[in-house]
Amino acid sequence: MDRKYRPPVFPFSALVGQDLLKIALLLNAVNPKLAGVLIRGDKGTAKSTAVRGLANLLPEIEEVSDCPFHCHPYNPSQMCERCAQRFASGEKIPTRTSRVRVVDLPLNATEDRLVGSIDFEHALKTGRKKFLPGILAEANRGIIYIDEVNLLEDHLVDILLDTAASGVNLAEREGISFCHPAEYILIATMNPEEGDIRPQFLDRFGLCVTIAGLNDPASRVEIALLREEFDRNPELFLNSWKPSEDKLRERIIRARELLGRVGISPAQLHQISKISLHHFVAGHRSDLLMEKASRTIAALEGRSQVMARDMELAAELVLAHRARNIAEPSLEKRPQEQSEGSAEKNPSEEGKNAAEETGREKSSGAGEQGESGDQSSTERSPQSYPGNAEDFSGKGQAPSQDQVFKIGHPLSVTTRDLRFARDTLKRNQSGRRTRTRTSNRTGRYVRATSQRLNNDLALDATLRASAPYQKRRPKTHLAVNIQEPDIREKIRMKKTSNLLLFVVDASGSMGTKLMSETKGAIFALLLEAYQKRDRVGLIAFRGMKAELLLPPTNSIELAKKRLEELPTGGKTPLGHGLLTAYQTLDRELRREPDLLPMLIVVTDGRANVGLDRGKYYEGPQFGEIYQEIYELCGLIKNKQKLRSLVIDAEEKRLGSFGRSKKLAQALEAKYVILEELVKDEILKTIESELG
Amino acid sequence: MRDWKVFPFSAIVGQDKMKLGLALNAINPKLGGILIRGEKGTAKSTAVRALAALLPEIEVVKGCRFRCDPKLASKLCPECNARLEKDGKLETENLKMRVVDLPINATEDRVVGTLDLEHALKEGEKRFEPGVLAEAARGILYVDEVNLLDDHIVDVLLDSAAMGVNTVEREGVSYSHPAEFILVGTMNPEEGELRPQLLDRFGLCVNIQTIRDQDQRVEIIRRWSEYEDNPEQFSQKWKEEDGKLGARIEAAKKILPQVEISKEMLFRIAGISILLAVDGHRSDLVLMKAAKTRAAFMGRKEVLEEDVDACIEPAFAHRMRRRPFEEISFDSKKIGEMIARQESERAGSRY
Repeated sequence: MDRKYRPPVFPFSALVGQDLLKIALLLNAVNPKLAGVLIRGDKGTAKSTAVRGLANLLPEIEEVSDCPFHCHPYNPSQMCERCAQRFASGEKIPTRTSRVRVVDLPLNATEDRLVGSIDFEHALKTGRKKFLPGILAEANRGIIYIDEVNLLEDHLVDILLDTAASGVNLAEREGISFCHPAEYILIATMNPEEGDIRPQFLDRFGLCVTIAGLNDPASRVEIALLREEFDRNPELFLNSWKPSEDKLRERIIRARELLGRVGISPAQLHQISKISLHHFVAGHRSDLLMEKASRTIAALEGRSQVMARDMELAAELVLAHRARNIAEPSLEKRPQEQSEGSAEKNPSEEGKNAAEETGREKSSGAGEQGESGDQSSTERSPQSYPGNAEDFSGKGQAPSQDQVFKIGHPLSVTTRDLRFARDTLKRNQSGRRTRTRTSNRTGRYVRATSQRLNNDLALDATLRASAPYQKRRPKTHLAVNIQEPDIREKIRMKKTSNLLLFVVDASGSMGTKLMSETKGAIFALLLEAYQKRDRVGLIAFRGMKAELLLPPTNSIELAKKRLEELPTGGKTPLGHGLLTAYQTLDRELRREPDLLPMLIVVTDGRANVGLDRGKYYEGPQFGEIYQEIYELCGLIKNKQKLRSLVIDAEEKRLGSFGRSKKLAQALEAKYVILEELVKDEILKTIESELG
Repeated sequence: MRDWKVFPFSAIVGQDKMKLGLALNAINPKLGGILIRGEKGTAKSTAVRALAALLPEIEVVKGCRFRCDPKLASKLCPECNARLEKDGKLETENLKMRVVDLPINATEDRVVGTLDLEHALKEGEKRFEPGVLAEAARGILYVDEVNLLDDHIVDVLLDSAAMGVNTVEREGVSYSHPAEFILVGTMNPEEGELRPQLLDRFGLCVNIQTIRDQDQRVEIIRRWSEYEDNPEQFSQKWKEEDGKLGARIEAAKKILPQVEISKEMLFRIAGISILLAVDGHRSDLVLMKAAKTRAAFMGRKEVLEEDVDACIEPAFAHRMRRRPFEEISFDSKKIGEMIARQESERAGSRY
């Protein structure tokens, strides 16, 4: 049961390019105190391959051979209770050497496997409770590897945060309490396009690298050839790469031995804290990490003294995801900085500037995250919205490249970090606003509860709950006698999507100019929806009826097409539009109860067609039409979790009716006037609405 | 033995791109599957089942839940490994290629596998109950409407497909087993797109359309009604054609390991990827493998320019970078011109 299938792994030394990634991983193999690496990059850039390859290069460590937690054999502070007792009593503890383990944490792991649980087989047989170690135990003094870490469920992230900080896995669950050392480092990969991770979690990774594909044909050909050779005959390939793998392994071992003797001068330490200060990095973690990283880099290069370039590289790796300056992409500020840079000819100073630049780019994204951006919130501005950020990256690239980065890895730093900035934004938008517990039986099983909700049996938890009592309960024809109180049910989480339902006035009164503005506004919203992978629907009303032009879909392309085709003219059957919206919402919510709908009505509010009569009204009869409309609004606003927005498209001049405002009141909707909106404002409105 | 309940592959009218894509995957399962994008009723599912029916049988370890290949010692599942250690050899059997369907409403535990309920209750022991990923091992996993599947299921699916391993750490079970399968996904783009990250995981992608040619449409009606009236007879009629294709695929499988690709062709491939500015390196690898596989399919041991060119579209259609509102499309003529221009420039700079 515990034996694992391990297919052959592409050798680390056969990886082409991606030097920064390789260094970051090797550094962690040398010095586990560097606290892991986060690898951010495009799809298909050998992220996972590199990590899996690293597992074969890891050095061997000594451990207690009969301890499930792989305790340190001589250091009591790294022992579990049992080992510590044995150690204190002077008992001879059996030891063995084993390679540092890389333990996979799959995205769909359940909590019981991560923290451990009661061993139900043991409980059945003996009636005694015993702890069954989970991944955290397995990974003690090793590495936890998470592929696509940004997709990891929050509740698992919480556990990782908790244990990573304390180094102890302490839990009370299923009637068993346990506590064991859980000192591990995290190595994880992610594609920023898919969303980001919490800043707090980000900080748990000692180092961070952002990688991109290689663009010169020769390297690409080399990659293709090597990969093909490996796929054709893995064993042969591994054999032929064995010498270089061995060499690398030796290098790591030598570096580990050297590490303790690597010196760093007081002046260099000052330099490090100066760099941190310059970046407004929170806390002292970055200083400590930079010091360690610098020394480890020197050790890996076989030197016993830290050099300036070690520190530059260390700063790059440590600060990539930490530095947060001002969330202001000020182009004006640059020239000043450049002059500073050129004034100080000291190479490491310039390196510092390079790293600082890194920080600035990054922070334009981090500022938006709210959780981390507090310090810089005063500077938060509309610039952190996507359109501008992209523009900024584009413009910023050229001037900053030549002048600031001259040393270390100058050019690559710029592009990488500009990418970083952009990606940060993207993922913020796809953010974490849409995770909910689901009440039906879909979604990911995250943990079990003894509450009875909807008969969604969690077998594993139920068995564990019943196991300790089996000795005492009467035997049945089954091996397990399960009774009512044992029953556990699954708690499931699901990412739910937002539904943006547009109800657009396409009547003649909207006019050409207004209509094109309306389309522009909707278009901007669609773009947002695309980035957030929201679903959109489009209802238009004109003449005598309303039409669902686009049933809710996540194909934004289609939405755009429909919007372009949208004809205008005729009367204003606002009631029809609202009725169709009501029906659509009703249908969608029935299909997907966890949906978070948002209604966006764009109209000038001059309704002039009644619902059932279908007649054109004028003058005092408006009252009747509005009676209908307000009734409808009353129905709509009672829809669960619905948020509404009315965009008033009426030209605001003398004699305007202001009916849209009343509509907004009836809907209890947010009210904005189209004329007063610039694109970013609309985005912000929606943004704040959606949280 | 011929399953006459399946419409014969060779009797499918048109849709050559899809047929080629499927055949290439059948020859070389390492291509990473295929995504078929198109409207309803364009013979997608028929083609997949038909193809599986004509494929040669595969050799597996007898009784293995994951249909391990006895010839690949490094890729045996834990159970086969244990058996090999104990007995010193593995018994084998031949099985038909299977097509496993993944229903839209599949739950995650059914996909990756879970704790065996019956075994746990009867024996009081934990045992891993394999899921769909295990069932599909060394076969075809067919996912209809892959774009409507829950995101977290698609993640698991593509992860296993890419790594060839299914790792389970859930519900008290800790297990991992080989899961190499040909992933065939279909989708109707009107119902929404797949995330780019997921698109990229499919080796190939074809866009298919309803046939507009009247004669061909008539032919489809004729054949389909003939098949429905008497499936057995219809299958007999096409047996030879299907047999030929089966033999051709088998022959291609044999020569595939010997197919050579020149440096020149590799540079051409890398050049195309750079020219089309796709993310990452997966496109290079896929195009190279696809071109080699096509050469093998053509009975050649050398990759020609035509092999590379024929595979550009399926390898790149879903990887092209596009702006938010651009549709996934592939203008083969325009891209052909771009490539020709680049090639001539390269030739020019060389001399």
